Amino acid sequence: MLTTLGRTALSLLQYLGELAALAYETCVSIVVAPIRWRLLMRQIVEVGWRSQMVVLVTGAFTGAVLTAQTYFQFSRLGMKSAVGSVVAVAMFRELGPVLTALMVSGRVGAAIAAEIGTMKVTEQIDALRALGVHPTDYLVVPRVLAMLLSMPLLVAECCAVSIISSYLVGVHLLDISGPYHIQNTLRYVGSRDLKMALTKGFVFGIVIVFIACHQGLNTKNGAVGVGRAPTEAVVIGSLSVLILNFFLSFALNIIFPGGV
Amino acid sequence: MISVRQLRKTLGTKEVLRGVDLEITRGETCVIMGRSGCGKSVLLKHFIGLLKPTSGEVLVEGEDITPLPERKLGNLRKKLGMLFQSAALFDSMNVEENIAFPLRESGLKNPLEIRDRVAEALDMVDLAGEQNKMPEDLSGGMRKRVGLARTIVSRPACLLYDEPTTGLDPIASDSINHLIRRLQKRLAVTSVVVTHDMKTAFHTADRIAFLHEGRIYFHGLPADLRASRDESIVNFIEGHSGDSA
Repeated sequence: MLTTLGRTALSLLQYLGELAALAYETCVSIVVAPIRWRLLMRQIVEVGWRSQMVVLVTGAFTGAVLTAQTYFQFSRLGMKSAVGSVVAVAMFRELGPVLTALMVSGRVGAAIAAEIGTMKVTEQIDALRALGVHPTDYLVVPRVLAMLLSMPLLVAECCAVSIISSYLVGVHLLDISGPYHIQNTLRYVGSRDLKMALTKGFVFGIVIVFIACHQGLNTKNGAVGVGRAPTEAVVIGSLSVLILNFFLSFALNIIFPGGV
Repeated sequence: MISVRQLRKTLGTKEVLRGVDLEITRGETCVIMGRSGCGKSVLLKHFIGLLKPTSGEVLVEGEDITPLPERKLGNLRKKLGMLFQSAALFDSMNVEENIAFPLRESGLKNPLEIRDRVAEALDMVDLAGEQNKMPEDLSGGMRKRVGLARTIVSRPACLLYDEPTTGLDPIASDSINHLIRRLQKRLAVTSVVVTHDMKTAFHTADRIAFLHEGRIYFHGLPADLRASRDESIVNFIEGHSGDSA
């Protein structure tokens, strides 16, 4: 029992060490190697632009269903006008960043792990190295920078569309007063909530992209390994986001306290 | 050009290389032969720093590359070119982009010069006019040729071939063998060919190194290898497994 626990702890430490080494190598690479702008633009399209639809749909329907559920509970207490602010605060501070991160982990994290993993098992990464190109410069840096630029914007989009959908469902489908809905949303949601959402998006982006790149770069065992890499990238990435969100919520609540 | 001294490499629990000593002189074609899984490709990857030895030295033009970190190996690797067993073409790029890759990475920007050098490299491997094909549209032999064009386009001083004829039909293999010999004459490069194909070995080699049980068992002229009466060498050349029916 103790041996198993010890082994698990050691392998977890080793994994975290490898992630930290990759992050360090990436920072070195950003400083010493030229940025490949064409690759970066391509990755921004892949990570940011092409993730928009899935993030917008997630935000819209989460905002809508959260509005409906909150309305069903609050209407009994005569607090219908508070629905908009509750939904907006929940979306900014928790659901927007977390759901965006989960969707991006599933879409982009899996794609990164599969692409780099395929390159690893088909010797394309060795070919890069043999041609004098550091794989971190060429493969990791553009993806990391694209993710760092895209994630906060995707989170902001998710939150914005959820608030719009909340207004549409609350005011047009349910019987919440439009002016009260808007006024309470503006009253209880401030720049601190937006900052919290963007900070979480940024941190989750870092976690997702490094886990995905690490899984890809450590792919082994041919086709089986390539099949396993994206699955593990999504599972580890999603769990990390959910666990990290708990601690991040407490820490960020000190920096950006909630309430009026 | 390349010297290997007491090179040892352990992969997992298996010691693949057990003290390899080898000297490859400038301008020669050295063929490294041995049974499948004996560590030929592992040895070749040490020459270009793709693998770090457990112990021992690899000297390229007199410089020990084993302690160098990955980032410092970049410049050295531009002096060496490697053709991978699978050709390792970048599957997101077409033939022209694959071959232009090392030129662009070395800072060449003039599109006309890049186009000319790509065309010249493709001409050398008898694939003129195939610039726009994607790797998935190429046969095994063509992929190896494109891989070779990508390797020679930046004019390295030494070419490393990892199983250049594996998986090819006899005619395509023969064509690659001639190509290796022709490039060696035309570019005056040092070549190291890893193979277990006897025809490739005797066709391309100036000298042959026979890797057996993790060490260089024989290193000399092809004629001397053929004349050898050593049981391990004879069994390998004649393809005797030692198994009885």
